[in-house]
Amino acid sequence: MSHRKKAMLKIVILGDSGVGKTSLIRQYVDNKFSTQYKATIGADFFNRELQVDDHTVKMQLWDTAGQERFQSLGVAFYRGADCCVLVYDVNNPKSFEALKAWRDEFLVQANPRDPETFPFVVVGNKVDIEDNNKRVSTKRAQAFCRANGNMPYFETSAKEAIGVEAAFEVIARNALSQAESEDYNEDFTDAINIHLDSDKSPCMC
Amino acid sequence: MTSKAKLLYSKSKVYVHPTPNSKDNIPGFVGLVRPSHAEDSGILVAWVPEDDLKVNHDYDQYVKVDLDENLVLKEALVSTPPPSSFSSYGFSVPIRDIYSIYYKRPSLGWWWGSITINTRGSETLPAIFFHDSESPSTKNEQKKRNKDFDPFSNDGNLYWGGDTFLLYLEKYAKLVNPSGSNNIFLVNPTQEDLDLYSNSNNKVAAKDEEDPFVKVFNDVKWKVLSKLASVTKFSRNTAQQLFDSTPPKVKTLLNIPEVQKVNDDFGSAKVYLAKWALGIAEEAQRSKRKSVYNEGYRKFLKGELGDFELLSIDFESERRNPIGIKEWNAFFDPIGHLVLTVEEVKERIFHGGLQPEVRPQAWLFLLEIIPWVSTDKERKKILNQKRHEYNDLKKLWWDDLENKNHDEFWLDQKSRIEKDVHRTDRSVSFFAEAEVSHPDPNSRFAETGTNAHLEQMKDMLITYNEYNKNLGYIQGMSDLLSPLYVVFQDDAVAFAAFCKFMDRMERNFIRDQSGMRDQLLTIDHLVQLMLPQLYEHLAQADSTHFFFFFRMILVWFKREFAWDDVLTLWEVLWTNYYSSDFVLFVALAILDKHKDIIMTHLNQFDEILKYMNELSMTMDLKDILERAEIQFLNFRKAIDMVDRKRQDMSSSTFLASGSTDYSLTDTEGSKAAKQKLTDHELPNITRDLRNLLSKEIVIVKEVERDPDVGGG
Ligand SMILES: Nc1nc2c(ncn2[C@@H]2O[C@H](COP(=O)(O)OP(=O)(O)OP(=O)(O)O)[C@@H](O)[C@H]2O)c(=O)[nH]1
Ligand SMILES: [Mg+2]
Repeated sequence: MSHRKKAMLKIVILGDSGVGKTSLIRQYVDNKFSTQYKATIGADFFNRELQVDDHTVKMQLWDTAGQERFQSLGVAFYRGADCCVLVYDVNNPKSFEALKAWRDEFLVQANPRDPETFPFVVVGNKVDIEDNNKRVSTKRAQAFCRANGNMPYFETSAKEAIGVEAAFEVIARNALSQAESEDYNEDFTDAINIHLDSDKSPCMC
Repeated sequence: MTSKAKLLYSKSKVYVHPTPNSKDNIPGFVGLVRPSHAEDSGILVAWVPEDDLKVNHDYDQYVKVDLDENLVLKEALVSTPPPSSFSSYGFSVPIRDIYSIYYKRPSLGWWWGSITINTRGSETLPAIFFHDSESPSTKNEQKKRNKDFDPFSNDGNLYWGGDTFLLYLEKYAKLVNPSGSNNIFLVNPTQEDLDLYSNSNNKVAAKDEEDPFVKVFNDVKWKVLSKLASVTKFSRNTAQQLFDSTPPKVKTLLNIPEVQKVNDDFGSAKVYLAKWALGIAEEAQRSKRKSVYNEGYRKFLKGELGDFELLSIDFESERRNPIGIKEWNAFFDPIGHLVLTVEEVKERIFHGGLQPEVRPQAWLFLLEIIPWVSTDKERKKILNQKRHEYNDLKKLWWDDLENKNHDEFWLDQKSRIEKDVHRTDRSVSFFAEAEVSHPDPNSRFAETGTNAHLEQMKDMLITYNEYNKNLGYIQGMSDLLSPLYVVFQDDAVAFAAFCKFMDRMERNFIRDQSGMRDQLLTIDHLVQLMLPQLYEHLAQADSTHFFFFFRMILVWFKREFAWDDVLTLWEVLWTNYYSSDFVLFVALAILDKHKDIIMTHLNQFDEILKYMNELSMTMDLKDILERAEIQFLNFRKAIDMVDRKRQDMSSSTFLASGSTDYSLTDTEGSKAAKQKLTDHELPNITRDLRNLLSKEIVIVKEVERDPDVGGG
């Protein structure tokens, strides 16, 4: 599919408050970590370009609030997403257990054409924090991802810039192929519609 | 010395508005003056400043003729007004030299009607504005008409001061209203004039002499901006190419580092430049205000005639100096009784704000921790009591930590609070240092360290989480607490203040978000009424959910203004001086200020959201507050006008059909009937809008918390 490229890939980042969504995005976009980022209220997005194989893709990364109730008014930006990133804090099992709810919430709100194939990527953040007996094991996370539609899984540290580039590259690729399949679908359905229309029109009048 | 002439007609309180600032308005009279022996076409249409009339002693004559309804005065001799004068905006022009009159009646967006005269020499004289509410003769006439249930003039519009001017002018000249325009009258037009007019409407749009700077800028602005828009990456190279075809003034513009640095976040160097242009326009406006007699004023006047929605200048708003400790102390007598009325103090705070050293005292009153009417002694007692209360509340959970440490909700909330406190206002010196090692070695902040103030913040928020059990701690609250803590420098008092503040803020945080929804909806109605063109644009851009105001409203612009400005803004809002929801007018003012850029450049929800988010820390609070006040005053007037008009309509239907009075209710049932009535398309004043006139704070409490539900 090389004919029509979507100008912008839209990526929505979800997860409990404090897992490091803002820090991840800023690390990826600005290559820095700061302890001064405030708790996100409302929503904002950041852009970054990325070379994927032979073409440049432009990503619009949507940073959202982890505070659940703030989501209810701001779901407008879920729509039209090409990929959804689910983030948790590897040291916080609760934030891991919440992933399923975030995923479902996204599917309900974004209402993608095909929920079965819509790409999610799971990111376990804050791997720089060591010896924590509560830590969610990599195994457990991988098992969860496999069981839920084979979601790609990455472990990162926004603080130490570990795994961030790699995760976003896969996120970009997934978003890109999602956008292309949507494109394809649109062309396909358009063709059908035209066909039907010309079939119907004589008897409509 | 000029010879005496006969004053045929005069109208008082007609102003020239040389700048957008109403302070600069010049009051005067408009008159029809017949020089001795002049025929009708030699009658002068004149506007004379009041001050000039006082100097040459004609003032009384103009007043007399103005108030003389039937013009029974045989003689009102005045000196012949000069054609123009260097010292003022005054002018006079014989009817035969007038080509056209542009007639703009008052309307929802523009309270004063105005008249602009174009001469046959293609000169545009300053627009003159009829301040009807100040003119005794106009008020008399309006009263009379209201009494007769006929507030309308012959053309079916509401009567205003300009009506009689045209009426009298028509006695001496032929006024032709060319087809296709109901705002233009050609004066004694020849056939050629009429033909010309229909061929090109441009003739009336007279050329003005603009401020050369503004002119250069206006000419090239959009050309440059659109070129930039087509350049995908705004590199040094392309900028250089642009330079070579660009006038010097704009070159300076492009050299500004911020512009150079522009990285096209959403492909929009143009937006940055437009924003910058807004700053320049304001600067130009400011410098214009300084000198009354400059050439640029016509530029403004032209803008006024062209745009219905421009910032209205009839209401004045000017920020005053913040209240210092001396002034504050003078508000009280020796035992601490307030010697002013509460309203007076609030008015003063609303318009000026407070100096830092006044805040610890004044905020206690504003947040109603202590009553305005009390003595020093009583206040001390109340504060002591607050300290006890806080300690007791804190002790409740402090002494129960054993149990609490097994309560999952509590633990969740505690770590949420901890996380957020460490992310709140860390650039403020109070919270910046992290010199103390963490009291809890297992805390995730053990590594990063903490300080006494951060720990106090946590305690206050945990206490609040316990105190207001149903609501609990929600993100954003730490943003609301930190200014209180820093100002009072006393955790118990800050806590008391926070509880009071939260009374009115609770609706922003409740789980179902209905409080936020209501406010965003009210903004929706407000923008429909006050900025209809912008509203249409936002609707096309899928942005009428006004989500970009979510953060601004939730924490009262805490994230949008610098620390000191936030303190000022909050104390202004706490006065409830005009409305307990004045915060929504602050939002409206921001939209008003940026509407041109939004309408010209931003067509998508994401673009608008980004633009609004990036206003953060760039906004001039003083300007926004002045605009907000003007927006409020305009709003109040709009409601008043719509109500009155509706009442007039209903009373006329009442007389006609004997039906009952339904015009003021907003219920569904009356809709059909109302539609029949309002072919004038009066805006619907929703209850949301009407509530904005109230000074009572809105309190909405969270419902009881289901123990199974977390704090999300
Ligand atoms: N050690 C460590 N700390 C991190 C990392 N990422 C984020 N943090 C810290 O975790 C806290 C929360 O980070 P944010 O990026 O603000 O979290 P968020 O998910 O955006 O939170 P909300 O905006 O409230 O939804 C901050 O104190 C960060 O400094 C990481 O990789 N390692
Ligand atoms: Mg965040």
